Amino acid sequence: MIFSFELAIFGSTISVLIIMFLLLYFYAQDYRKYLLEGKQEVIQERSQENAILSNMKRELSFAAFFMDDSKSIGIRYIITSLLFFFIAGLAGVGMRISLWNPNPTFLTPIQYNVLLTEHGTLMLYGWATGSILGLGYYLLPSMLKIKSDKLGHLNSAMFWFYFVGGVLLIFSRSTASWYFYYPLTDQLTEAGGGSYSFAALAGVLLILTAANVASIIFLKMIFFDRDKSIRLSKLPLFAWSIVSTALLILSSAPVSMVADVMLIYDLINPVFFTGSNGTALGYAILFWFWGHPIVYVAVIPAFGLIYELLPKYANTKVYSYKSGVIGLLLLMVLSGTVWGHHLFNSGLGTFWDLIFSTTSFLVAIPSAITVFNWIATLWTGKIRLTVPMLFILNAIIDFVIGGVTGVMQADVGINELIHGTYWVTAHFHFILLGMTTGMAFAAIYALFPTLSGGRRYNVALAKAHFYLTALGTYVMTVPWALGGFQGMPRRVAGYFGIFQSYQDAAAIGGIILGIGQLIFLINLVYSSTKPISVSNENILESEVIYGE
Amino acid sequence: MSRITAISLALILILGAGLSFYFFLSVPQGIGAQGVSASYNSTELIVLYANAQGWNYNSSHPNPTIYAKTHVLLEFKVIEQDNLPHTLTINPGNSENQNSAIVSVNIPPITGTVVWVNWSFGQPGTYTYWCIVHPETMVGLLIINSSTNQTASVVPNSIQGYQLSNLSIGNIYGAKFET
Ligand code: HEM
Ligand code: HEM
Ligand SMILES: [Cu+2]
Repeated sequence: MIFSFELAIFGSTISVLIIMFLLLYFYAQDYRKYLLEGKQEVIQERSQENAILSNMKRELSFAAFFMDDSKSIGIRYIITSLLFFFIAGLAGVGMRISLWNPNPTFLTPIQYNVLLTEHGTLMLYGWATGSILGLGYYLLPSMLKIKSDKLGHLNSAMFWFYFVGGVLLIFSRSTASWYFYYPLTDQLTEAGGGSYSFAALAGVLLILTAANVASIIFLKMIFFDRDKSIRLSKLPLFAWSIVSTALLILSSAPVSMVADVMLIYDLINPVFFTGSNGTALGYAILFWFWGHPIVYVAVIPAFGLIYELLPKYANTKVYSYKSGVIGLLLLMVLSGTVWGHHLFNSGLGTFWDLIFSTTSFLVAIPSAITVFNWIATLWTGKIRLTVPMLFILNAIIDFVIGGVTGVMQADVGINELIHGTYWVTAHFHFILLGMTTGMAFAAIYALFPTLSGGRRYNVALAKAHFYLTALGTYVMTVPWALGGFQGMPRRVAGYFGIFQSYQDAAAIGGIILGIGQLIFLINLVYSSTKPISVSNENILESEVIYGE
Repeated sequence: MSRITAISLALILILGAGLSFYFFLSVPQGIGAQGVSASYNSTELIVLYANAQGWNYNSSHPNPTIYAKTHVLLEFKVIEQDNLPHTLTINPGNSENQNSAIVSVNIPPITGTVVWVNWSFGQPGTYTYWCIVHPETMVGLLIINSSTNQTASVVPNSIQGYQLSNLSIGNIYGAKFET
């Protein structure tokens, strides 16, 4: 057989995967040795600098890429996930602008599909997952007063899994959307426009491996490594949110990883999901078993951050610690049971549709517990409208809107109407922009003195960033919701003229959002030129006082 | 965070986004219907089984040379045979050339799927029909003569269809498998 480009890419993707897993095996063996043979000293030596992890200050710096302590790993994830956020964000703004006219203005359908896929995958796997892992690595050691960190090399390897996974996603230029449904995904051809989806699948596999290992490490930190002075009943709520997230990842991501491997195998020898044995739906089920939990993975840590930050800016304590914990854990349990609401129109049958509809309604309960807890906290406190607080208040409002639209579309009848329209896109952008992205930025601003080594951000620029992000979210998603309810289809490069006013309004929103993020960068550069002026204490480190 | 860190971080984020955007847009465009089908006054059926080992691989004439006339609507009935992705791609000339293709249609990798590709040629000449995914094996010639010439067209009778013994699911898709 002569040289074929497809084969070369396929081969190298598979080799990257194999090398990565060998690496993982090597590190796991290393750790096993340490467990079995008590080679504690050796490893201690290796991570001597980590000795007083919780007091360590780590700034945003590229040196973090060469250091293996948890905080440096956190910095690595934060920097890299920001990169993926900007890549995916530009793709999103590009799609929006191209939709200015009913006939695509500058994107061909194939280019549109590439941007759609890259936007969805990089936002969810690169930005949402990455920023959460980063904040987890960065904050947990301080919150739990962890003295030393013995798995630095494993964390480091996992970071590179995540990084290479993101790069594979970018280079795949897949057009299969973030679902990677069969048979679209298994077209080893450029006829559909660079559908090297298996590279994207390999990327997803690597990122999910990193997320799984990180989850285990987080659980280990929280339950085994934390300082004895922190009792379980006094565990910070952010740590509880990470417990919830980690368990959610561990219980559902492997299902999707298995499905991804089956897809890659099907490429060579189609046996699993071929339409002829009727299991194309099988892939969809395996995918959504993880596809729903990942959206909760993207919000639950944001809930935890709100619980940590809200009392600080409202000068009070969390209204009810217990109901906070219960809410976070219930969210984990319930959101594992609702995945079928993405398949109402795929023929699971009325019986299952109704079951999934009911469980979806039930998710509103822990969500409401959480939101009311925040409102009660706000009620009893004195609110200081700092920049992180603005992000928090906006996140709560956006989550309520997103949640209500979610519960609406979980009604089987209404879902018939809005499935596949921009209503769904509006539903999740409210939450993913307002809550996930908003809280990541809130945390970055709150930690700014620590991250920048004692500098202040420019408040005017930060407020401009906030207002443009918040305004842009509404201007983009409200027209989506309105148009979507009238049947404006999502995932199309062009559309019927009657929807133009909605699409144009949303395009303006997209541009506002883009400008807002640029202001964040300007602020970063601007503040770095200012002299060191504040203490670089980590404000999330100090002990939190909870009510009850 | 030194000034250099902040500036290089901002530059990396902006350049990363810009370069990736450029890379995304430079995706191969595939090939759609670039040509225009000519007018026609009669139609002719051509059956092709898409099989990675060759078009109509199970017949006595794999990769048949197809003769047809100008201004006849050729109705290619392309039947997926092996669960692998294929395309029916046609370009002028007697060798494969993706850039000058006038027709290129994906055949979904689900056995039994039938894809109809209709095309009428205005210019006589030699054309190549092939599959982009399997250019080594699935390639044949399509010779178009102007209407005055007398030519015979192959197919569909000469095709020995799919061997049912290979097919575990029967022909539930309504495809006809002649043996
Ligand atoms: C009260 C809780 C929620 C309910 C009842 C709910 C319900 C739903 C339903 C029924 C759909 C399917 C719509 C369709 O395609 O027909 C959906 C889609 C979606 N939801 Fe939610 N949702 C909730 C919360 C969330 C949260 C918190 C997030 C994210 C952070 C989220 C993200 C998404 C995403 C990303 C999709 C679309 C996936 C896609 O098709 O690309 N949802 N939701
Ligand atoms: C920077 C601002 C953003 C803009 C301008 C934007 C824009 C868009 C657009 C235009 C679409 C495609 C709609 C369609 O054709 O169906 C889309 C889809 C999507 N967006 Fe965003 N978005 C932004 C932020 C985010 C964020 C922060 C996330 C997640 C953390 C996110 C996750 C998604 C997902 C999962 C999809 C669905 C992709 C699919 O249908 O396969 N977006 N967004
Ligand atoms: Cu869901």
